[in-house]
Amino acid sequence: MKRVNLLIRSFIVVSLVWSVTAHAESDTDVDSDTDDSDWFEIAPEDLLPEELPENLHWETNNEDPEFASPDAIRGGTFHTWMISFPKTMRPVGPNSNGYFAGTLRPLQFTPVAIHPNTRKPIPMLATHWALGDDGRSFYFRIHPDARWSDGERVTADDFVFMLQFMRSKNINDPWYNNYYTERVTDLKKYDELTFGVRGADAKPYIEMLDSVNLRPYPEHFHELSDAWVKDFNWKPEPTTGPYHVDVVENGKYVELARTENWWANELRYVRNRFNPERVRYTMIRDMNTAWLHFLGGELDTFGLTIPEFWHDKADTDDFKKGYVAKYWYYHRLPVPAAALYLNTAMPLLDDKNIRYGLAHSINIQRVIDKVLRGDYERLPTFQLGFGPYDNTSIKPREFDLNKAKEYFAKAGFVSRDRNGIRVKKNDAGKVIARLSFTITYGRPIHTDRLVVLKEEAKKAGVELKLELLDATASFSKMLEKKHQIAWLTWSSSGFSPRYWEHFHSANANVTQNNNVTNTSIPEMDPLILKFRASTNLEERIGLAHKLEQMVHDHGAVIPTYQVPYTREAMWRWIELPDWLGTETSGSLANTQATSQGYSSGGLFWINEDKKKEILALKNKGEAMEPLTIIDETYRIFPSEDADEAKEGE
Amino acid sequence: MVQISSVFKLSLDPQTVKQWKRFRSIKRGYFSAVFLVFLLLLSCFAELLVNSRALIVSYDGKWYFPTYSWFISGDTFGLDYDWETNYRELKQHFKEQDEGNWVLMPLVPYDPFENDFSNTYGAERPSWETKHYLGTDTAGRDVLARLVYGFRIALGFSLVLLTCSYIAGIAIGCAMGYWGGAFDLVFQRLIEIWNTIPFLYVIMIVASVVVPNFWTLVIVMVLFGWTAMTWNMRTSTYKEKAREYVNAARALGSGNARVVGVHILPNTISVIVTFIPFSIAGGIAALTALDYLGFGLPPPTPSWGELLRKGTQSLDHPWIVWSVAIAIIVILLMVTFIGEAIREAFDPKKFTYYE
Repeated sequence: MKRVNLLIRSFIVVSLVWSVTAHAESDTDVDSDTDDSDWFEIAPEDLLPEELPENLHWETNNEDPEFASPDAIRGGTFHTWMISFPKTMRPVGPNSNGYFAGTLRPLQFTPVAIHPNTRKPIPMLATHWALGDDGRSFYFRIHPDARWSDGERVTADDFVFMLQFMRSKNINDPWYNNYYTERVTDLKKYDELTFGVRGADAKPYIEMLDSVNLRPYPEHFHELSDAWVKDFNWKPEPTTGPYHVDVVENGKYVELARTENWWANELRYVRNRFNPERVRYTMIRDMNTAWLHFLGGELDTFGLTIPEFWHDKADTDDFKKGYVAKYWYYHRLPVPAAALYLNTAMPLLDDKNIRYGLAHSINIQRVIDKVLRGDYERLPTFQLGFGPYDNTSIKPREFDLNKAKEYFAKAGFVSRDRNGIRVKKNDAGKVIARLSFTITYGRPIHTDRLVVLKEEAKKAGVELKLELLDATASFSKMLEKKHQIAWLTWSSSGFSPRYWEHFHSANANVTQNNNVTNTSIPEMDPLILKFRASTNLEERIGLAHKLEQMVHDHGAVIPTYQVPYTREAMWRWIELPDWLGTETSGSLANTQATSQGYSSGGLFWINEDKKKEILALKNKGEAMEPLTIIDETYRIFPSEDADEAKEGE
Repeated sequence: MVQISSVFKLSLDPQTVKQWKRFRSIKRGYFSAVFLVFLLLLSCFAELLVNSRALIVSYDGKWYFPTYSWFISGDTFGLDYDWETNYRELKQHFKEQDEGNWVLMPLVPYDPFENDFSNTYGAERPSWETKHYLGTDTAGRDVLARLVYGFRIALGFSLVLLTCSYIAGIAIGCAMGYWGGAFDLVFQRLIEIWNTIPFLYVIMIVASVVVPNFWTLVIVMVLFGWTAMTWNMRTSTYKEKAREYVNAARALGSGNARVVGVHILPNTISVIVTFIPFSIAGGIAALTALDYLGFGLPPPTPSWGELLRKGTQSLDHPWIVWSVAIAIIVILLMVTFIGEAIREAFDPKKFTYYE
């Protein structure tokens, strides 16, 4: 029970897009007098065997295509920015889960990574891996050449140390303490370069591999003691990835340097990647200021996902004269589940006709076209962006007042009251119910979107009241299942969709879990469990399609919009492969070893000759051919309207 | 009854006439007062001036007055939908049909909630053609309509707040001054303690737990706002209590209520009146500030604070922030002028440092 509880809690933490980073921020006092390994107990069946099992089927992958460009040029300094200065260089412990963690953590290689196009495992720090008989253990063979950036060898001891480290009270990080006892139960060294990891539950192959694919911690570097948190605050760790932190200029910038004679330079899936010699993160406290720095050529790239930037601001002389290129690149990453979640435990919303009627009264398209300038796309299904798991045959319920009227009439709502809101009357002609619902939400910035939905819903005879609460309060209201309609976005990650936490009846009408629709469908439960337990890819895909269809038919989720792309401005001296990126590139200009589990980063390079050339042209004011590239290779739902809109750019 | 007659008597009092004359002679205060009252009256009938519902629709020889009536669906006027009629389109439609039907729209044919995206994405510049005289905000809502309805709400809020906190403040302040002694001492300490509670935090906590509405905001602000008045009332009552006429009234056998209500209160009225304009300004400013910070009235209620926040967040659409900034400055300036004039008019000394 405790484990389930913890699981749910960790899901909540991980799933919340806008939640304040909760787990690693805690500053709980730890009683440092206690013996460090005494506080937990691992059941014997959760431990790995003493000897390496003999019948292991060792796997590797040297067949998948490479995705980096052989034209890449090594060298130069890549200039980018950060909005706040990191409070620490530690990867764990108090204050470590801030904004910069997203840069620090991917500096480390993990034993394997996921190929960004084929979505199969590829070797990184390990050369081979093998799944244990129990379905929840993996064994790895470390690459014999693997070195830390300070020259030390990477051995199985570094992995053993990792577990000891994560379980230590000295790191002052209860979330990791728990995770590495409850979810990762054992890690054992078999020889200098071989070790095994056991997780708590069996999962499908790729998910299982992902959950035990843990980075090592340098044993020779860390000194675990009561003072660790303080002593290692500003001591950057050595890394196994391409870059390590070289300079920390407090309050100004952090500079990464490429490790000299990096051990992985010639690895199959790594060569021609991570090309800049140095990467500098300059702190700029404000986005608009950063934009000016970019226009001044002090930053090499700038994100343009916000409509205002892409449409209005990215139109200066530098763009018109072609010194800066604009890229609009579609990818296929798990799409955050932005939707209206109807609480089916509430009166009226327990009626499927009302739910369908509501879906047809919600004018998402108008919000997308007008408030979001046509840049976002309608999200057709609850879960999307998981490759073959996506059920692309489902069409979303469109804004259609006739259909809405039909469904509401079926539910008994035929007449309207003095404000035009539909009401249900009893035989005596007395009003017994009114189509009025409250939407709970937590981000003031979304008010503009919701007021449009509210006004449009009036046409269908539906009153939507807006309840804007503080982000935390609104989410707790949803977890307590006290809302009627929740306007909420679940973040989406991993390699396959999740249904148990959102739709299994075990989570319905119980507070503090992610089933905010209180969905409880007897026919759905066994399929969900089967989907969770199955390790057969074909079967899982079939089940996912079926489950997604059931979610759609149930009508408790009204999916809203998605942003299935990245948009960036880059000075033309930043060059990309002809294919720009990969299927899972969240950004075209990141230097991270892995992002969202995929090894997709570091494909670009800096062309120093071109930089001189462009700056000379700019000085003379001579124009080049402007460059705007819209790459739809990985677009899932190409829509004609959107294409027309873009031609008008 | 007693109090009403005393107020009536007061209004005929030569002293009052003198004060009124002096107030009228201070031109900018007087005209500000006239203008503000005029605005207040106008805003009571804002639906007739700023509204998306038509004033009059003449259709097939029948007249309709949709402003204050039930919603009228489009099919009533021969349109093909059953939701609320879009009267601006209806007007256009009738014009094209040319069958003698007509629509009379208010001066500003928009309500403060509807999103007009007919010409552009989001915010639209001020324009005579589209009748968005002050443009639209980022959700396509008419800025002028939101200003007008926001003004009405803010002023209404301010007046309710003023009435409630004055009743409480005057009652308790008078009692403290009148009875003095232990009662006074205890209440003084209580008020001091009460005042140390940070009011803004209370509002923030309330706003994070429930969606504040008009009345919860009034209640919270009265809870923390009544204390200001007590100090002044306490001092004035103390002063008046020692006067001979109070002793005389007591000697004649008047009870406490009569002494305070009929004799002391009318003599402290000048203190109360001079504070009123500033309290109104304070009320408006407080609500605007709360809305600006996001702890005020819930969306989509039209409010100046919300407009101000929208405006400062999107400086690319300067008409939003300009409209509301000018409106706030003008209103608060007028209230200050009135306050100054009243203080001057009620000042027993003719020559003050203000001259």
